Amino acid sequence: MNIVLQWSDFASISPLLILLGAGLVLLLLESFAVETAKKISFFLSLAVIISAFFAALYAPPSENQLLTNWLRFDAMSRLFTLFFLLIGLGSILLSSAFFRRFEASRGEYFFLLLSAIFGLILIGASADFLTLFLGIETLSISLYVLCGYMKRWGISNEASLKYFLMGSLAAAFLLYGIALIYGAVGTTKLDALLNGYHSLAKGTDKILFLSGVVFITIGLAFEAALVPFHIWAPDVYDGAPTPVTAFMSVGTKTGAFAAFIRVFFDALPQFDLIWNQGIALLAYPTLIYANAVAIRQIYLRRFFAYSGISHAGFLLIPLAAGTPDALSSLIFYLVVYVLATLGSFATIAYLDHKTNGVSIHDLQGLFKRSPMLAGILAFCLLTLAGIPPTAGFFAKFYVFKVGFQAGYYALVIVGLLTTILSAFYYLRMIGVMFSESPAEFTLPPRSWPAACVGLTSCAAIVFLSCYPAPILSLLTLANK
Amino acid sequence: MLNLIVLFFVPFATSFAAFFFLPLAKRPLKAAAFMMSLLPLIILLSGEKSWIGSEINYDWLPGISIKFHLMIDYLSLIFLYLLAIVIPVSILAVRSAEIPYPNFFYGMVLLLQGLLIGFFTARDLAVFTIFWEGMLVPLYFIISLWGGPNRQQAAIKFLVYMIAGSTLMIAAVLALYFSAESLHGTGTFNIDVLAKIAEKAPYAPWLCAIFLLAFAVKTPLFPFHAWLPDTYYQASTAGTILLSGILSKAGIYGFMRIGLEFYPTLMIEWSPLLLGLGITGVLYGGLAAWMQNDFKRLLAYSSFAHVNFVLVGIFVWNQVAHSGAILQAFNHGITISALFMVAGWLEERLGSTSIHQASGLAKFMPLLCWLTLFFVLSNVALPGFNNFIGELMILFGLFSLHPWLAGILGLTVILSVIYMLRWMQKIYFQSPGFFQDSWIDIKGRELAISLPLIIIVMWIGVYPAPILKQIEPAVKKIASTESPKEAQ
Repeated sequence: MNIVLQWSDFASISPLLILLGAGLVLLLLESFAVETAKKISFFLSLAVIISAFFAALYAPPSENQLLTNWLRFDAMSRLFTLFFLLIGLGSILLSSAFFRRFEASRGEYFFLLLSAIFGLILIGASADFLTLFLGIETLSISLYVLCGYMKRWGISNEASLKYFLMGSLAAAFLLYGIALIYGAVGTTKLDALLNGYHSLAKGTDKILFLSGVVFITIGLAFEAALVPFHIWAPDVYDGAPTPVTAFMSVGTKTGAFAAFIRVFFDALPQFDLIWNQGIALLAYPTLIYANAVAIRQIYLRRFFAYSGISHAGFLLIPLAAGTPDALSSLIFYLVVYVLATLGSFATIAYLDHKTNGVSIHDLQGLFKRSPMLAGILAFCLLTLAGIPPTAGFFAKFYVFKVGFQAGYYALVIVGLLTTILSAFYYLRMIGVMFSESPAEFTLPPRSWPAACVGLTSCAAIVFLSCYPAPILSLLTLANK
Repeated sequence: MLNLIVLFFVPFATSFAAFFFLPLAKRPLKAAAFMMSLLPLIILLSGEKSWIGSEINYDWLPGISIKFHLMIDYLSLIFLYLLAIVIPVSILAVRSAEIPYPNFFYGMVLLLQGLLIGFFTARDLAVFTIFWEGMLVPLYFIISLWGGPNRQQAAIKFLVYMIAGSTLMIAAVLALYFSAESLHGTGTFNIDVLAKIAEKAPYAPWLCAIFLLAFAVKTPLFPFHAWLPDTYYQASTAGTILLSGILSKAGIYGFMRIGLEFYPTLMIEWSPLLLGLGITGVLYGGLAAWMQNDFKRLLAYSSFAHVNFVLVGIFVWNQVAHSGAILQAFNHGITISALFMVAGWLEERLGSTSIHQASGLAKFMPLLCWLTLFFVLSNVALPGFNNFIGELMILFGLFSLHPWLAGILGLTVILSVIYMLRWMQKIYFQSPGFFQDSWIDIKGRELAISLPLIIIVMWIGVYPAPILKQIEPAVKKIASTESPKEAQ
């Protein structure tokens, strides 16, 4: 039993170490050299993410028990690490666009963003409940501060406090669920859960285990913003500065579903049908409520909160199905959702000029003012609406196929009907962009990072629409 | 196989070129776009006999078992020809001086062409659905960006109506896939395989109803037409030509490809109801058209009435009626595109689409008057014109099964005469008012544009045998789907 860490072990966890190191450097820089921090923190973070990305690509899996007790080094965790790093890259680029318009200190911001990404990677690579909890908490605490980052905005402070209070409650649920499961099977390692569950003899132990599972589901449902645990999402998304909202809508959502995947696809695959049926029951109100309320939204950050909740509802369908095929469809849908949402936020980053954020009235006549921006946003919204031939249609089709196969016919039909509602509000936004009278303000100077994000997401979506085979085969490979 | 690949990808390539690479002035741009839209027609005409059976079969998404399978058969070929003719006509109907963002417009029309080629040749039900919903995107932009004052509302109404009608189709497609899995061993989306087992699948009546709903909304069949008047009216001339000439044919094609081939016995069972809806649609469209004071709306309702006529031909289970329906679909596409184009020229000169705007225009614009009259007579199904053959065959087929319904349908022909000639009389033949500067007659250029359409109308009207021979194998194939049942 090797209890000494060797260089190869450090190489295995190099993405995490790089992020951590860079975050601390940024913090120091901010404390001692504010002007330098302002200039270079963006480029430093960019460099860090790119190096972490390459590190994650080439990191060898570790065999050291000191690490494998807590972190997993399989294809799935590598996939998640790369995915989260790309999300981080997108958010950092969008933040640069934001800081050109609004004044705030940069070093702390990027430190917090890097810590949030660190937390996400921990979630994706967790082999133990405690690591999972650590990841979620790191993510959440960074986000509590990030949401309240604009100190002079009233809504930002409000959002931060709301998120903090409700997030702590959800963390408490999560922790209690972990404790109950520990009480039932005597371990918090994810690997040992399934065997532990099946070896439970007494009925009371099984009830203990299932209660633990319920509490954990509640905690994770809060993170993923599922109805009825979604109440924090609209206000928090609305109050946070736009790049933080972008990060939350893609990062936290993906992180929550990564946690779901780690616990309920890897550790406890189809352990009890009643859990899957419970998830299906959760999907109905999520789909119906989110799609119905999103129709009334005017402010875009809030709109994307509800959009995110409705997509979380669609993501529950493969979660309820629970088959390996369902896992591929879940991750594929997440990829398409992330790309489309980041692309939309790229356009919003250009138009952001008030504390309240962009409203739908600011979009009026956008096509006349800037065809490129309108085109990017229109394309991303079409993808989110699931209109063929964009990749969004394939993602939804795959999800419905998996749901159908698992026998959830009513859920698939409800999903299809709520797709009609979602098509309405996404298309209405596109319609506003192509309408006549432009609102009176001029566009900000060009921001190459935001343009990067917008164009890359569109290109990626187009690529996925025409040729999704490589991603799909990558995902089935990751399932092994 | 090479030919269908070329045919399918050319419109997408030209659309891309129109979007990004053609920074020309407006008139050369229209000419360039017109040339590019003619390419599929040229490809089709130079391929001749070899088109039937040419296919593309590519394992596109093995994870979800979607194969990119396109194949041309007799039914598809007719609609492909119609498409290849109507799209250039719609580009020609654009008033190049006034249109903003012409690049974008021509790109959208060419994109629509590509998507429809894919739709009419799709042999994989998932690919069929993708193109079915995908064709709405360019049409939405075409309606919403260029047209009348309320076009955005009309465009959203159009789109949401269409999506609402066809979303459940995804569930039906998946249900067929899984019943193929249970009945056949492996799940597949292949249309030929599914056609054999569709009626044995569980919940077949529900699935059939879902499919029929989707097609009924698009065509539109009688009670699902609420989107039609506003959308046709608010769209620009080119947009309306695309809607009436092509979109409705997509619905008709869907009825034939899936309704008749997948569910023959259900269609026969439900034919009283469907015939009732169709005939009501013809009557409703005719009566509504009679009441209109605006000739664009009049033509919209006329189009609606004629499309329902075609659907009546589909719903009656008779080979002659089916041949007539396919022929009439082609005819209607040609005639209504020509009519909207001519009406667009009239609108340019009058400045509005009201019937009472002017009268006695035949004195000042004789050529336009005679051209309009030519297409009006074609629409009205005067013998010697194309619509006569199609409508006659439908009536013939209907009479052999339901003589009373054929009688009622025959009355609607009179109705179409009434409303079309009312328009002609009010605008062209009543006593003329004072001349206005904009009433310039059409010149040789417009006549040259209409000439191919005139030739087709006359050719089919006088000598329909060649096209009927093309239609016959398609109709025989549809009829054969019923015989296994009869043999039992």
